[in-house]
Amino acid sequence: MELSLQKGSRSRILATLLFLTIAIFIGRLFYLQIIKHDEYVRLAEAEQIKPLIIPAKRGEIYAYDSGDIVPLVMNQTVYTLFVDPTTVTEPKKVLEVIREVAGGNLRPKIEDLLDRKDTRYQILGTKLSRQQAELIKKESLSGIGFQAVSQRIYPEGGLAAQTLGFVNDEGAGQYGIEEALDERLVGHDGLLESVTDVSGVPLTIGDKNTKKPAKNGDNIVLTIDRNIQAYAEKALASGIKKLGADEGSVIVMDPQNGDIMAMANVPTYNPKNFTKVKNAALFNNSVISTPYEPGSVMKTFTMAIGIDKGVIKPNSTYNNTDSIRVDDKVIYNLWRGETGTITMQTGLNYSLNTSVVTVAQRLGDGKSITRGARDTMYDYLHDRFKLDQISGIELAGEQPGVIIPPTEVEGNAVRYSNMTFGQGMNLTMIQVASAFCSLINGGTYHQPTVIAGKVTDIGEFREDPAKSSYENVISPSSSAKVHSMIRKARKAFYAGNDTPGYDIGGKTGTSQTLKPGVGYTNDETIATYLGYGGNSVPRYVIMVQASGKDKYLEGGKHALPIFTDISNWLIDYLKLQPKG
Amino acid sequence: MSYHTTQQFYSRRQSGWNRNQNTVSFASNVKLGPVSHTVLVALMVTVLGLVYLTQATQATAYDYEAQKIDSQIAELETKKTDLQIENARLTALETVRSSSVAKATTKPASTEYVR
Repeated sequence: MELSLQKGSRSRILATLLFLTIAIFIGRLFYLQIIKHDEYVRLAEAEQIKPLIIPAKRGEIYAYDSGDIVPLVMNQTVYTLFVDPTTVTEPKKVLEVIREVAGGNLRPKIEDLLDRKDTRYQILGTKLSRQQAELIKKESLSGIGFQAVSQRIYPEGGLAAQTLGFVNDEGAGQYGIEEALDERLVGHDGLLESVTDVSGVPLTIGDKNTKKPAKNGDNIVLTIDRNIQAYAEKALASGIKKLGADEGSVIVMDPQNGDIMAMANVPTYNPKNFTKVKNAALFNNSVISTPYEPGSVMKTFTMAIGIDKGVIKPNSTYNNTDSIRVDDKVIYNLWRGETGTITMQTGLNYSLNTSVVTVAQRLGDGKSITRGARDTMYDYLHDRFKLDQISGIELAGEQPGVIIPPTEVEGNAVRYSNMTFGQGMNLTMIQVASAFCSLINGGTYHQPTVIAGKVTDIGEFREDPAKSSYENVISPSSSAKVHSMIRKARKAFYAGNDTPGYDIGGKTGTSQTLKPGVGYTNDETIATYLGYGGNSVPRYVIMVQASGKDKYLEGGKHALPIFTDISNWLIDYLKLQPKG
Repeated sequence: MSYHTTQQFYSRRQSGWNRNQNTVSFASNVKLGPVSHTVLVALMVTVLGLVYLTQATQATAYDYEAQKIDSQIAELETKKTDLQIENARLTALETVRSSSVAKATTKPASTEYVR
């Protein structure tokens, strides 16, 4: 017997309806799962797979301390305290707890912020320490949350501020090392893309999880020695205060390899409080960013050019009449009275302008600073000593200097006569000090650097590749002669306070300033002293500069004591044994 | 002494059997019908499903454990950094200079060098 539903029966209708319903379900499922498959997979992944940024740690900055490596800039995790006013259930308790734990970090009028029920995010406090955050978390206050942020810490306070620079609120390095090496310091954030649970915990289920680890920034080790830096800053600040001057700078470098041991400016600032600095000029490192006319310290270079070209020797003589004519201009000595036939050494000792202008004339036809003489000077100053060129030091804001080439109309004999004693040209201290090293180290120009290397994540020090060096800028024998001249120039008048037994030399510089409408004036001058110290070989070069508004400052009287102070201290600090 | 073969070996090939062929056929007395087969397959699928779920849950449990450990590592690293900062502050030049030990130091009257 065959079983069948009667046509039109309720059972048959029900079966038909059931069949249709199932058919609709199957159709709908087919539509959702087959036709719309990709779209729903995409939606599901968007909901479940969350990209999490793994922040890279910004590299720290270290300095030396007698050979050890010590931190100058570190990172610390601090916390921003925020509130969702709509979910706060115990506002009184919230106020009481956070005031007690983090009173100093709170924003003004936090009661008002808590009452702002129209918003869901209000920052109540910033830069809370981990301990403060933990104490508040313990109270389990509803509506309160924390956001971890990293901030720069300066254990040495404002030490080497203008060399370091700072990191702004957007996390970008500004000025100094922080800006120049921002890419190297910042590292690369990592990425974790993973299925997460409802609370955002990444899970390993799923086949589309990706993890790219963060690459932390390099931990940079500077060539700066914190003790030398601290002493240089102290000596400069105290010297500038004594003079009643407004500004001063000092650089200490190793003439044997171009390493910067210290670099300081007055006035300065503390990078921790960079937002409170009102005069942005304080952020500039004048040693590298403020070209000026260095004055008579350049006479050492003129003598070096003359010796290297073979037109003079230290004991070559000339007739000093305290003035010398160049085209339509007459150039006078600042120090008068050493007239008659004198040696170039005497000319350097007394810093006589006539001596160096004579050298320039001898580079030409012996009577005038010919085009050939100017070409020679330019070759040395620009090509060999790189005096007007960016030195390539790893600091932001370095400025090139200005040396007018003889090919230009302004590069005439008068200008080049002025350049022999450091006027009519604009150079930065880093340019002058770096070139000076080649005068006394045997004739090699070393590119100045503040970077020694880096510390790896496992604490190993890795030295950076050596910077460029250019040998025979002047010949070793010329260097030896200039070295001796500079030593004698200091011994002549300025060595009274030197620690005995060491090879110390230097040259003064007093530059007139150019005032609009007045021209060069002695009413305001810049004092410079540039010298070296050491025993069997020069171990350090120090350049000091001081200036003040409407101040007449002399290199020999005002910049020299700062040099001597640092030099004598360095001899002890570097444990240099006396010659002999 | 001599040895004798005591038993004759007969190759199975000679009796019509080939390699990899069972020499014994087994016939069970228990017979499973189609319903039993279906139930058994369903049970096996269920067991396999349970095994999969157990493993997946286990992996997720490890994820939570790993997350917990990651948090601990992060916390310890934060503490370590805080200690390093504290150490740097305590050994900073300014701190050392103002320490009682530094204040008690004196300058040597003279220095001699050993050559």
